[in-house]
Amino acid sequence: MTRFILADLRRLWAGSLVIVLLIAFATALGVAVTLQERALRLGSARAADRFDLVVGAPGSETQLLLSSVFLQPSPLPLMPGNVLGKLAADPRVAWAAPVGFGDSFSGYPIVGTSTALTTNLSALKEGRVFSKAGEAVIGAGVTLPLGYEVKPTHGLAALGGETHTELAYRITGRMAATGTSWDRAILVPIQSVWNLHGMGGHADEHDHAAEAHHAEDPGHEDHAGGHGHGHVDPDAPLDENWTAEAPGLPAILVKPKTIADAYKLRQDYRGNGTLAVFPGEVLTNLYATLGDAKRVLSAVAVGAQILVAAAVLMVTVMHIGQRRRQIGALRAFGAPQSAVLAIVWLELFILIALGILFGFAIGYGAAMMLSAMFSGESGIVLPVGFIRDDLKSVAAIVLFSAMLALAPALLAYRQSPAAALRA
Amino acid sequence: MLSLELSRISVSYPGLLSPVLDIPSLAIAAGSRIAVTGASGSGKSTLVSILTGLERCAAGGSIRWGDADIAGMSERGRDRWRGAHIGLIMQDFHLFPGLSAVDNILLPARLSRAMKPGDPDRALMLLYAVGLCRADQKIETMSRGEMQRVAIARALLRKPGVLIADEPTASLDSESGDAVARLLIDLSVSNESTLIVVSHDPRLTGQLDRRITLSAGRVASDRAHREKAA
Repeated sequence: MTRFILADLRRLWAGSLVIVLLIAFATALGVAVTLQERALRLGSARAADRFDLVVGAPGSETQLLLSSVFLQPSPLPLMPGNVLGKLAADPRVAWAAPVGFGDSFSGYPIVGTSTALTTNLSALKEGRVFSKAGEAVIGAGVTLPLGYEVKPTHGLAALGGETHTELAYRITGRMAATGTSWDRAILVPIQSVWNLHGMGGHADEHDHAAEAHHAEDPGHEDHAGGHGHGHVDPDAPLDENWTAEAPGLPAILVKPKTIADAYKLRQDYRGNGTLAVFPGEVLTNLYATLGDAKRVLSAVAVGAQILVAAAVLMVTVMHIGQRRRQIGALRAFGAPQSAVLAIVWLELFILIALGILFGFAIGYGAAMMLSAMFSGESGIVLPVGFIRDDLKSVAAIVLFSAMLALAPALLAYRQSPAAALRA
Repeated sequence: MLSLELSRISVSYPGLLSPVLDIPSLAIAAGSRIAVTGASGSGKSTLVSILTGLERCAAGGSIRWGDADIAGMSERGRDRWRGAHIGLIMQDFHLFPGLSAVDNILLPARLSRAMKPGDPDRALMLLYAVGLCRADQKIETMSRGEMQRVAIARALLRKPGVLIADEPTASLDSESGDAVARLLIDLSVSNESTLIVVSHDPRLTGQLDRRITLSAGRVASDRAHREKAA
């Protein structure tokens, strides 16, 4: 019987191939949507997982999360600089690191922060943490060598930002991969960012020119002549004793000591000019939106699958019609009805199963490709993978197609051989 | 070798006033060689369907091959009985492309799960007996005459008690037709099968013992045809 089925499929290879491809693409669509959505969810959750609490100025929670955790360039309102000093001194806080953005270098965001972050976010893979104003540590995904001099561009070069000529950062260390957007970041001392943008906190003029990234600076209009660039001494030692006079900040990443501390801190820093958020919580809200999008895409995929199932069914029923004589002859030579049923069912089921198999492979490949593209752009690693529950859906699909394949098989089973031979 | 007794056979189709086949009784002795002729539409193909159990007759009829009445059998029972006892040869062969000659011969036995250990050897022997020697030649590369010879070998594989051929030479040229006719008669003798041939071909029907002529579903004439045998 196997030989007969194989000979049959070989004979009808073109039609069989079309059926396999149709099914493969319909399956791949559904698989890719599911995998990609899961990867996005998992990847962003993992990326946000390293950041327990983010404190920023009141505004959009989502924007705060996107800017601080995922390093999306966007203007954030600033909060008073003294918040950092308060948080750093808080006994419930393990470490608190400021985040200041605005500059970039060949597509990599330059993020001003403190040694608290560079030592705690991940271990250094090579080199050492910055110790002077003119030094920088790069994420694992930044393809620059140690010792390289980075000349920051104001804003994004692609958007026509000018290059700061006052200071070049020398790369002194590279962090291990974290699977977050920070893998693509160039981390520099925040003092340098402040100074570069003429906001030199306690050292320079006390104008609090909160201009770190073209933010609409609430209330501080006293900043004359575009953004005045301050002088920065690259060999100046770091001063991480945050005082009340520190300039305004877009965000502070906080690692609380315990979960209870985290909740208390969040409560304490909501209101009074600050907004504290749990990245996980904000992500959950984002996922609700993502879930809606996924539902739409899934509906499209399911629609495509139903169309393909109908097309395949139609083709096979027509095909059975054309093979009436052959099936009648099989019966006439003594093949039992069960053999006819098995042949027709197996032929179709083999094609469908092949299609589903290829579909999963294509869908997996497509999701991998999309994830790799996304990771290259954002630094966030999107883990594409099947989970145990997928086995259930595979089983469901296979079972469903087995039933579907039964329809033409029963048609052939019930066919009278005498009538088929006369046709 | 099986004998046949038909009684009260009637086959009608809805929408047709008279039955397409109406045979009150007909007997065929075991081992005889019968020709069935008649104009097209006279019921010859229906008779083949009835004799092979592919079609059911109206209630009350009996189709007795040897000791078995296939009219009373279930569909599955008739399939099994047909596979074991009837060798069928049809005008357009119904061989299966993509399979070799020997695989075609073995296919019905395989599908019925009735393969016996000696069957592959017997298939080669039969192939040789019908004058073919390339067992693994693909069927679609053969001439029509060769195809019909493979079909004869296939019909004989399970040593059927009856060999039924429906217009076996109608789609062949005269030379191949002669060869096929000779093979049919010789092999039915050597395999001890009753032979029933539906044919218009006088070169074939003329060599058989008895000729039954059908007309409008009834037996119009039935006479022994001894003079040519010998």
